[in-house]
Amino acid sequence: MKQANRAGVYFLTPALLIIAFVLLFPIIQTIVLSFGKNSTSIFIGYEYIGLANYRRLLATPRFITALNNTLFFTAVTVPLELCIGLLLAQALNRRFRGKGLVRMAVLFPWALPTALNALMWRWMFNSEFGLFNAMLIDSGLLTERVNWLGAIPLAMYSMMFVSVWKTSSFMALLLLAGLQTIPDDLYEAGSVDGSNRWTAFRHITLPLLRPAILVSVLLRTMDAMRTFELPFNLTDGGPLTSTETLSLYAYRTIFQYVNFNLGSSAIIIQFIIIMAISLAYIATLRRGQA
Amino acid sequence: MTRRAARPAKIDRQRSASPGFYVVAGITVLVSFFPTIWLFLTSIKTEATIYAFPVVYLPAPPTLDNYLNIFNETPELLRYILNSFIVATTTTIVILAFGGLAAYSLGRLTWRGRGPLLIFILAVSMFPPLALLPSLFSMFLDLRLINSYPGLIIGHTGLYLPIAIWILSNFFQTVPREIEDAARVDGATSLRIFWRIILPLSAPGLISTGLIVFIFSWNEFPLSLVLMSDNFMRTAPVGISLFPGEYSFPWEIITAATMLTITPILIISGLFQDRLIGGLTAGSGK
Repeated sequence: MKQANRAGVYFLTPALLIIAFVLLFPIIQTIVLSFGKNSTSIFIGYEYIGLANYRRLLATPRFITALNNTLFFTAVTVPLELCIGLLLAQALNRRFRGKGLVRMAVLFPWALPTALNALMWRWMFNSEFGLFNAMLIDSGLLTERVNWLGAIPLAMYSMMFVSVWKTSSFMALLLLAGLQTIPDDLYEAGSVDGSNRWTAFRHITLPLLRPAILVSVLLRTMDAMRTFELPFNLTDGGPLTSTETLSLYAYRTIFQYVNFNLGSSAIIIQFIIIMAISLAYIATLRRGQA
Repeated sequence: MTRRAARPAKIDRQRSASPGFYVVAGITVLVSFFPTIWLFLTSIKTEATIYAFPVVYLPAPPTLDNYLNIFNETPELLRYILNSFIVATTTTIVILAFGGLAAYSLGRLTWRGRGPLLIFILAVSMFPPLALLPSLFSMFLDLRLINSYPGLIIGHTGLYLPIAIWILSNFFQTVPREIEDAARVDGATSLRIFWRIILPLSAPGLISTGLIVFIFSWNEFPLSLVLMSDNFMRTAPVGISLFPGEYSFPWEIITAATMLTITPILIISGLFQDRLIGGLTAGSGK
């Protein structure tokens, strides 16, 4: 056992060193930077100013807008993705011909690089030469071109649409894994009792799928709260700042306005919100199990 | 009623793919692939057809000029793809090596403190990647790791090690303990057991994890954006995103370069869907 003990520590060392260097130290430094001013490192010229950056942020309308945009984006997209994901998972959980193609269709949007996917959609949303306006006008559904990405609040809805398109399938995969753990005898018992599909879904599938639903909603919420590439490439955060997310705001504060300290506090606020939501989810999950 | 009762629900649930179901499946396939189909169609159109009004749907005639132009006029776009390839493959190898050892240590070896440590590693990875940016940038600037392959590879490795350790330790748990115990009784060291027993027996798990990490690293954006600022060191997603000039979007070049960049993703999700799904659900199902 002693030998295993020593080996256990040796085996872990390289991974722990990298995690400490790339994740742990930078996170600590970002936290410290958020309480300082005019510094890009905690070793050179760091000056502690307490909560001043946080107070300044909360009084900055642009930050509040980014915060609201992010919360609105998350609150709309995650429930939509859950509904579509549930539908897809239910449909996929059976044997049928052409399963390989359908499974690839479900995996592919998830596997696409978000940044390039945003560019692909930017091209389709293009008001002059884009696919959407052309199709809608040619089919008679629209009479004039719509500026999908250039109008408030339409740009935000377009961005939500792209996000739901890309991530519903990921939700479906996680839920499918949960569905496959539900034993078939339960449905057999249900059908003996004469329950139809809807009652089986309500009384057998949903309660047993609860943990899988909570886990996938939690993962997606964390992801949606830190959306960055999508507005970066789809809308540039515009028009004005109507699609600017917290991540994009923080990135611009740090690298365009070169204020590492203010940007760091924006990131820490974002993290605190993500943490609070996660803890609420986990508490719900625990209560469900007890 | 009697018919349903006589037929076990298992068959009912798994076999009965009604016409309505095939409609749902067909729509799913169509909706998933149409952006890529439109991307491909655009990439094989002439510039005049791309910017025609009203919009011309099909390329007439199709042309490979946009792709040839990348080779002849904007070779930096090929360099971006090469950079992505170097970073993603190296990151995958390093993560499988270090992550495999760590996952074996945390998942199979019994030593005190491993439980809290695994939770700690997962907790650290919950911070948004953006939280790393200001610090990593100033650290890497001091260490001269900006605009270097090792720099971005170290960054990506740190970013995806936790999730890889998590997925791998789930896979390692499926190796029967008896085999490991038997080898230990025979006097094999932990390293030998890891190398000769655990790794070969969890080869499917290694492939799954490797593919997932490769896709993550290939697609990664914020770190690659900040750590590679030199035009020739950019990775494909960042390089293509920043390629457009201030005022114009050369869509004929962007669509062709994007098509080249997502081809590996298309191939992986077509050929290895079981491996990817297995890895993703092993990582989150618990």
